This record gives sequence, C-alpha cells and structure tokens, in this order.
Amino acid sequence: MLPRCRDCNRVHWYPRFLCPFCHSDNIEWIEGSGEGTIHTYAVQHLAFGPWAEEAPYVTAYIDLKEGDRMLTVLRGVDPHKPEEIKIGSSVVVEFEEANEEMSLPFWRVVEK
Amino acid sequence: MAGKLSKAAAIVGAAEANEIGFLETPISSLQLHIEAIKNLSEQTGVPISKIEGVFSTGWSSELCEHLGITPKYIDTTAVGGCSFEMHVHHALAAIYAGIIDIALVSHGENGFSSRSIGGRGSGNYGVGGGVTSPAMEMTMAYGLGGAPSNYAHAMVRHMHRFGTTTEDFAHIAKVSRDWATLNPRAAMYSKEKHPFGGPITVEQVEESRMIAWPMTILHCCMVADHGGAVLIASPKVAASLSTKPVWIAGAGESMGHSNMLEMDDFTATSAANSARDAYSMAGMGPDDMEMALIYDSFTITAAMTAEMLGLAPRGEGHTLWKDGHAAPGGKFPINTNGGGLSFNHSGMYGMPLLIEAYRQLSGTAEDGINGDPGKQTSAKTCVVNGTGGALSTTGTLVLVADE
Repeated sequence: MLPRCRDCNRVHWYPRFLCPFCHSDNIEWIEGSGEGTIHTYAVQHLAFGPWAEEAPYVTAYIDLKEGDRMLTVLRGVDPHKPEEIKIGSSVVVEFEEANEEMSLPFWRVVEK
Repeated sequence: MAGKLSKAAAIVGAAEANEIGFLETPISSLQLHIEAIKNLSEQTGVPISKIEGVFSTGWSSELCEHLGITPKYIDTTAVGGCSFEMHVHHALAAIYAGIIDIALVSHGENGFSSRSIGGRGSGNYGVGGGVTSPAMEMTMAYGLGGAPSNYAHAMVRHMHRFGTTTEDFAHIAKVSRDWATLNPRAAMYSKEKHPFGGPITVEQVEESRMIAWPMTILHCCMVADHGGAVLIASPKVAASLSTKPVWIAGAGESMGHSNMLEMDDFTATSAANSARDAYSMAGMGPDDMEMALIYDSFTITAAMTAEMLGLAPRGEGHTLWKDGHAAPGGKFPINTNGGGLSFNHSGMYGMPLLIEAYRQLSGTAEDGINGDPGKQTSAKTCVVNGTGGALSTTGTLVLVADE
C-alpha cells in the first residue's frame, strides 16, 4: 500500500500528514504494483542491533514504479559480489513477517 | 557586488580544548566546551562576561549557566556538523542587525570518551532525527544506522553516474594524512601518536577493513574528542582587539532533506545552494578562492562538496586531490589541518573547519593554538563548507584575510 494524494495524484513515500508536493491533506492509500528499479545500493559490513548477525547484507534505494523512493534490503543477491548488482535493475516486492503485528517489504532482483 | 551583510562581522579568535583526539582519560563534552572557551578568552583578551550572544548545538542555555552569563541572543541550531557554519551566519546577521557586538560559537563533543563512559558513537548531538521520526521508522527497520551505511549509497551512485572509482576517492584519504603529518595536534599525526597514524598509501586505503561497501574504514572519518570555540565581533570591537580579524565576506545555508530517503540526486548536495548564497554575499566566486576547508566525513563527501562549491566540474571533484592540487605544496590547499579523516572528528566537524580557517587566514597556523604548530599556507581567501546529517544540511562561508 502506498500513500497517494487525491489532489495532485502523486505517490509519496514515506507516509505524511500533508502531501509533500502540493501540501494537500486529501491523501488515500492505494495498492502498489510491487515493481521498481534499483537507484543505488551498498553492502553493510558493520551493523547494530538485530541486523548485526545478518551482516554483510545489501541495502538499496528503490525507485518505485508509482514514483518516489523506498529503502530496502535486497533479497537474492550475493553481498560478497556487489559488482554483480546493477543500478537500474528491475526488482519486485515481497513481504516478510517482522513480528506478529507487522510485515516489512523487501525487494528481489528479477531477470528481464 | 557584495551583499550588505558582507564583512559586517569578523572571526577574531579561535581556540581548542587543552587536549583533543583519543583521550586516555575520558572527558565530558561540557569540559571540552569550557576549556576551549577559556582558551579563547585568554587569546582574544575578551572576558567571558562580555559575551553577548551564544551559539551552540542544542544546549546553549546549559553552557551559559555553567559560564555564569545571561546572553541576550541564544541560538541552539543543531542540524548536524554544519551547524557551526550556520551559527556564524546567524551571528553575522545578529551583529549586522545591531542586537549584539560579540558572539561566541562553541563546540564540545566527547565522541571517543563517550564510548568508555556508557555512550556510543558521538556525544551530544542536539535534538531531532530520533528513532521515532516517521522517516527513521522507514529506514531503521532495514539496518541502516551509522553514517557510513548511508553515505556508501552516494558513493555507489557517483561511481555509476560518473565512472569514478574507489581508488579515485582513496586519494582524498591519502592527502588528508599528508596534511596531518604536518600537524602535531592531528590524531593521525604519527605512528607514535596513534598506532594507525602517519602516512598512508592509496593501496592501504583500498585494502583496509570494509565498513560499508564500497567504503573501507580509511574512507571514513574518525570519531574522537574535540572542543573548540570561535569569537565573532563587530568591526568596531574587532578593531579594539590585538588578534587579527578574519572577515566573514559571505555566508549561506541550505538543506536538501533530513533523511537520505528523501535525497533526490545522490550525487549532489545543497552545498550548491548555500555556496551560491555565500559567494553572492561576498561578491566573489569559486575562482577567487585560494584554499578550501571541506567537511570530509567520508572521501565521497569531500569530492561531491568540491563539485557543489564550483571548485571542480561535476564528477571530477576527486581530481583536486588525485592531481595533487589539494595536497601540501599544491596550488589549491584543501583541509590543511588533516580534515575529519586524519585531524579530528568528534561527530560534528563544523568547528574544526572554522578554527583551521581562522588559523590559516590570520597567519597564525604555525604559531599554533594552545602552543602546537601546524602548517601555514599563503591563502588570503577560503571557502568553508560544512555538511550535516546524511548529506542533508549545508552551511557555506567565504572568509577573507584582513588587508
């Protein structure tokens, strides 16, 4: 689900009280396509808290098909071969349960 | 033509805490502040009781209380490491407006000591940007924490767009160390001072421990202890002091975002805007600058900022270092103290930029602060840029030597 402004029709991420583009408060939630592309990425070798055990892992900023950008951890990539990850690659969303109340969106590179 | 605020005030003194760096005996942020302020008062001959405005990051009232003063202008702008460049901008405006004649900008941050007395990372950062902010909720969940985790994304995007390499950026780290080996107060001055100190090679930068690919640890600044303070005064007060004034010819501030999630172009920062305003106020441009002090939180920060300040074309910021211009003996010295990479960086590096700018432009770099010599250049003009947050906020100053 993504927030979209009913007045200017633009999708924004993260969720706001006001549309950051036209400052309307007339905001609805729409179901996103779950498609995007990699804007940039990095490999985290030093991490804190629950992520410390996961290191190294690949973080990436995803350009959403609907517009605006989302941070994620990329699934299905090798953190030891970062050169093989390509900016602009197509990705699709998948959800993982973080706890009983919440799931988090992660993104996976798809062949195209 | 210069703007009306240009040279309405000058930096008339700059000092540091007694000991800075990786201190063996843990020290508090407040003590780092107070030592620097005491040294500044002795250097300038201006009694602490004469300070009319106090500018610091997030706890100016506590600082004033400790000093036993009740200033008539209080500013606690805390938007990251560039806050101190913004403080100078604000003090300039307050002095121009006639509200105050003498302003203190102060910094104390026990970035290193805080680790051994229960804290983590940097010292007192001020308010905001906490884990409960909406943007942070969307980024903390993915294991982004420290600054390197964010800035690495900018380096990857820069490499993608301009074809730059980690080796290009490694030159910035190498040159910072070349400067540090000329400055006894630099944390990385020598092997005797720090096990990892002394000169380094580009190869060593490339082969050091990976922190956030593509950045190894030598692409990242240190987190040490630092306290510093500068005094800013109206032309009338400046003329009455024995210290040399360094004129604030131009000042500007700007921001692109707070959280990197909202960074539009990962290869550009708001330094382009803050520099435009600072140059405009000064009636000068990048070609008029003879040196630069640039917040080098990471090598990529320095390279990108040099581009934003108009010192190099887009995508070519690193060439200033790689071609030797920024190095000791080069035609355009940058980060003559050794920078955040090799001099000192406590979490917010804006104050060391101001102190080194004052030292260089007042011709006192080799007289030293608190007794230690540095390396004097012949520059009479300097562009100073601080970056805060995750390439978020910027403050730019154009400073010129007294004629």
